[in-house]
Amino acid sequence: MPDIHPICWSCGVSRAPTDALCPACGKVQPPPPPQGVLDKFAVLGLPRAYELDERALEETFRAFSRKLHPDRFVRATPRERRFSLEQTTLLNDAYRTLRDPVRRAEHLLALRGVKVAGEERSGAGAMPQEFLEQALEDREKLLEAKMEGGPDAVARLAEGVRSKRQEAMEEIARALREPRPSDAQLRRTAELLARLRYYARYLDEVEGRAAEI
Amino acid sequence: MALLQIAEPGETRTKEACATAAVGIDLGTTNSLVAVVRPDPESGAGKPRALPVDEGSTLLPSVVSYTGGKTPIVGRAARRLAAEAPRETIVSVKRFMGKTSADPETRRLSPYQFAEGESGTVRFEVRGRAVTPVEVSAEILRALKARAEEQLGMEVRQAVITVPAYFDDAQRQATKEAGRLAGLEVLRLLNEPTAAALAYGLDKRSQGTFAVYDLGGGTFDISILKLVEGVFEVKAVGGDSALGGDDFDRAIAERLLVEMGRTRDPRLVRQAIDAAKAAKESLTRSDRVEVEIDGWTRMLTRAQMEEIIRPLVERTGPSSRRALKDAGVPEGKGLDGVILVGGSTRVPAVRAYVRELFGLQPLADIDPDEVVALGAAVQADLLTAEKPQHDVLLLDVAPLSLGLETMGGLVEKLIQRNTTIPTSATQEFTTFADAQSGMDIHVLQGERELVQDNRSLARFRLSGIPPLPAGLARVAVTFQVDADGILSVTAREQLTGVSQSITVKPSAGLTDEEIERMLLASIEHAEEDVQARLLIDARVEAQRILKAAEQQIENNGDLLAPDERQAIEAAMQTLREAAGAKDHRAVQDAIQRLDHVSAEFAKRVMDRGIERALKGHSVGEFEQGELSPHAQKAYSALRDD
Repeated sequence: MPDIHPICWSCGVSRAPTDALCPACGKVQPPPPPQGVLDKFAVLGLPRAYELDERALEETFRAFSRKLHPDRFVRATPRERRFSLEQTTLLNDAYRTLRDPVRRAEHLLALRGVKVAGEERSGAGAMPQEFLEQALEDREKLLEAKMEGGPDAVARLAEGVRSKRQEAMEEIARALREPRPSDAQLRRTAELLARLRYYARYLDEVEGRAAEI
Repeated sequence: MALLQIAEPGETRTKEACATAAVGIDLGTTNSLVAVVRPDPESGAGKPRALPVDEGSTLLPSVVSYTGGKTPIVGRAARRLAAEAPRETIVSVKRFMGKTSADPETRRLSPYQFAEGESGTVRFEVRGRAVTPVEVSAEILRALKARAEEQLGMEVRQAVITVPAYFDDAQRQATKEAGRLAGLEVLRLLNEPTAAALAYGLDKRSQGTFAVYDLGGGTFDISILKLVEGVFEVKAVGGDSALGGDDFDRAIAERLLVEMGRTRDPRLVRQAIDAAKAAKESLTRSDRVEVEIDGWTRMLTRAQMEEIIRPLVERTGPSSRRALKDAGVPEGKGLDGVILVGGSTRVPAVRAYVRELFGLQPLADIDPDEVVALGAAVQADLLTAEKPQHDVLLLDVAPLSLGLETMGGLVEKLIQRNTTIPTSATQEFTTFADAQSGMDIHVLQGERELVQDNRSLARFRLSGIPPLPAGLARVAVTFQVDADGILSVTAREQLTGVSQSITVKPSAGLTDEEIERMLLASIEHAEEDVQARLLIDARVEAQRILKAAEQQIENNGDLLAPDERQAIEAAMQTLREAAGAKDHRAVQDAIQRLDHVSAEFAKRVMDRGIERALKGHSVGEFEQGELSPHAQKAYSALRDD
């Protein structure tokens, strides 16, 4: 099927669907139609890769913000104001996803059509049984430590989870650095990401305790 | 008029630009200010300047008295009436913005008489009539506008109005309404701490990460901002929309009244609060002060006062720590400065606590009372001037999470707090009963898990969902937060495209007639080129439909006879060509044509889906193909029941 190339509404020049500004006349463009998974790397004009220069990402985000933010369009036509709002919304979303390594990894999987289990509260069903049992056990230990062990015991448990998180992050990074990861690797990465969610919740609970003390 | 018409277009614009000014307004709990950036006639450089608006002072007390004739009295003159006419003189109206009469705020120690509004909005009963907080605030804005016009000798039409970062959607809406009611075009609602940082950032030309600790009369805000190359990025905000210097006054007054052991008529309460406020202010300079209320006297020392207010001051600690954590700033390091904003930061005990909390000597070189208005003036200049005096951009955040009610009275968050705005989020939901035709959408704001613990912003119903087996309809709910932090919600059923949308109203329950009455002539019409917009929309729609058709042919092509397939592909080609041309009607026609020739095919595809679902055909496989993760979740949760 041939692609339809969008054209600039102002000057009529053909442009890429993710171009926020017309390459010819510089006018702000409507965002790409919402279908499939939008490549958030493309929104920021960055290569699709897990490894990312955070400084460059920040600078790119700032540069785009300066051009696209609704504050820059207060005196523009209503249409341009609407496009500016929509483009800035996409830009903010892309930046939020890419600057966080976990979200970035999830997005890379999503772009390859792999979904991460446990996206929300009830999603844990897709995790392996042994992991869920381990999780349950960890929770009980944490509760016990909170009730009886005091801050030191809680800190020890948190340290254990932090190192597991670190290991998982490293494995994810390795898998995503591969030029052509296998399906098995991608599935494994998705599972690790689901685990990270669990670790994050666990650590939040620990920190909740820390704030109480 | 005729003269204007023959003038050169460029000239006209200059004249207009000269004739009106865009101002920054700090609509404060205790005092309100107006500031403006005017280029210096000699150097051309522009610095923001607060205008003297009340008896030579830049501070206009946020007090409105309905004691006189038709026109309410605003400012110092009104404040002098507070003691003798406590019920008719509204002080600190900001605390009531966007509040309902059920709100705890309306039950605190206060001298007012409340009238019950039809829809639960707070109304002050004054001289036999009921006024809303929005109307009271509009009086303050009207006074600022008029007095600024007098000072500047030109009309003031546009304004940036500041709000506490922690204001929720209803409070923001109410503030915007007040602005419109006062005849101002509200260019932007700007968060107060962000405004303060703007004033400081420009002054110091500094870069780095700053905390803005803003303790005003009625609200506490904490913001963490990063300033790099002229872009201010708000990293996190937090605070308490019902904590401020007024609470100090009340706590002190409460103690004094207990000691007096007298009945609490409104006049006495007002006097005690005024005495407490005066004592607090003189204790920032001296160690002890004599307090007098209605002939009763007592000596109050600074240590005693600090003991009374300490629990209140310490309430700023947890939200400050949380904001640092949200911003990813490690406690005790990583901050380059702490900026003090708000009159209450003059209290020495507050300054000491801030130093302790952040481990830094706080900055207070710009008058903490004026700094917010000055920042707002800078933003107004940025937004309106042909050539703004400064090249900066503010990137602000949503202060509170936004979500929807899901089964079991839980909140599903769509937008997390501290997300940079503008932002949007979409979540798909599905039906839980066969042939369910409607779905209630309940929009909530707050951080808690349970619906009842959050602020309810709006409820509406999406009806017209086509009859389908449970779990098959897909309703996409989209939240869009604009640059003012105001939310609009759209719900769309994906198969039929049935949709409903709302902009969350100044919800503290104003009725439509009330809003209409308040808005009257200020309805804004987008002067957009309708034709062009229709074409763009039609093209977008064409692309969406073509993509969907391609996908269906790829996945379910086996359901098509060769001639049917040919007809559909021909219609698709026609649509592609129409989308490349400039007539939106041709695009619409081609869409309809494609729709028509593919209707039978669409029906077969849907039947196949339904058949699979009813057979319990390997649910996993089906869900992967057809449903979003969210719908799957709802679907599997139901099966588990």
